[in-house]
Amino acid sequence: MPQRSDTDRAAVTRLVHETVAAVLPQVPAEQITGDKHLKDLGADSVDRVEIIMALIDALGVREPMAGFSTVPDIDALIDFLVEVKQR
Amino acid sequence: MTGRIGIEALNVHAGFAQLSTAELFEGRGLDRERIGHLMMRARSIALPCEDPITNAVNAAAPIVNRLAPQDKERIELILASSESGVDFSKSITSYVHEFMGLSRKCRVMEVKQACYAATGALQIAAGYLASGVSPGAKALVIATDVSMVDARAGYAEPATGTGASAMLLGDDPRVLALDLGAFGAHAYETMDSARPMPDHDIADVDGSLFAYLDCLSNSFADYCGKVSDVDLRTTFDQLALHTPFAGLVKAAHRKLMREQARATPDAVEADFAARVSPSLVYPSQVGNLCSGSVYLALASLIDNAPYRGTARVGLFSYGSGCASEFFSGLIDEGSRAALAELDIAGRLNARIPLSFAEYTELLAENSRCLVPIENRKIEVERYRRFLDARPDGREPVLAYRGTEGYHRTYEWV
Repeated sequence: MPQRSDTDRAAVTRLVHETVAAVLPQVPAEQITGDKHLKDLGADSVDRVEIIMALIDALGVREPMAGFSTVPDIDALIDFLVEVKQR
Repeated sequence: MTGRIGIEALNVHAGFAQLSTAELFEGRGLDRERIGHLMMRARSIALPCEDPITNAVNAAAPIVNRLAPQDKERIELILASSESGVDFSKSITSYVHEFMGLSRKCRVMEVKQACYAATGALQIAAGYLASGVSPGAKALVIATDVSMVDARAGYAEPATGTGASAMLLGDDPRVLALDLGAFGAHAYETMDSARPMPDHDIADVDGSLFAYLDCLSNSFADYCGKVSDVDLRTTFDQLALHTPFAGLVKAAHRKLMREQARATPDAVEADFAARVSPSLVYPSQVGNLCSGSVYLALASLIDNAPYRGTARVGLFSYGSGCASEFFSGLIDEGSRAALAELDIAGRLNARIPLSFAEYTELLAENSRCLVPIENRKIEVERYRRFLDARPDGREPVLAYRGTEGYHRTYEWV
């Protein structure tokens, strides 16, 4: 049986992919890979703000946006969101 | 205690030259698709005969020169806010005090906290005036800066302006009557942007934008903790926010409306058009004025918003480092009349457009503006065509003509 954290990570991963696709509809789904920063996908600063705001909103968490400014790639973004959600 | 305290007069000086956003994007080879999110049309560009002192004086002079001698004599406090200091010890304000010909019975100093500092200065000045220790006193608060960005700044280069906002504070607040005591603050240490050298800015784009947005939520929450029955949708008829670039203000408004009102995207868009967009007309033509930015936004909304009667304005100021404040005040139709006397739009429109090549030629000289050099000479006449293009050409403007033994020298043109 999968651990709860695995389930959470799968759900958060799906949410991140859906959110990125909604804000950046021109990016093919296969290009949204964990090793990329949002900048690598062509997200400008306003896109990045929109993606982080939407993720915080969708997960119903209260987390300062400043905490997201140093995540190096999408994998780290997902890890951080899972951590925040489980607090 | 005095009753009404606030801004009696407000003026903005945003230089004599401008560069269109499209021209800069073309020249730098930037991605034009990003202009949409930036929401900028142009930015002010400095001339080598301008500096933080000329900007401050050229913003304040139209206000001070309209005062009756007995009112001018009542200016007892001058605070210049700047992240473009010209000396580690001597303040910009000391020069401004001299060129404005103000009373020698005056408190004179400079304050710094990035793009927030003017609001801190305004609140300190308002507190002094409201204390009643000197009934009828006035204070001059001037936010003045120069740009130090170049190609290294990437997409921040098209969004950065130059100039100053000047405000006369007193007990006849024709422009904005402050809601005294209605404020919320939020500050903490962060390295989101800084000017570690006199010719170079550094910035962590996400760090700075995210700190701005966190501070907006937190300072608004602090405001709500101090003022009863605040509703973001109904308490404020208009909003004016610090504007690093107009697109960030749109994102900030969206964030606050989601958090506070659970508003739908369509409702957010309509609210933005009605309550925020009038404040962005001037900032999108000037660029970020640092701590003068929110007061450029205030001037923009007074000149461009179709309000009638009395309207409450919510204002947000943010400065990297960081410090922030959400506060409010009242404007009315007299505010519009008071600003019309200074014709800010006319002077913005009179700025001479530069080509990208002319702009890059100016950059090298402009980057030396704050570098401490013992002796330096500026040929003011070289820039005469810019200085003469102003619509109020009969009023002299101050120009920087160089430095002699570290003492900066100026002339009226």
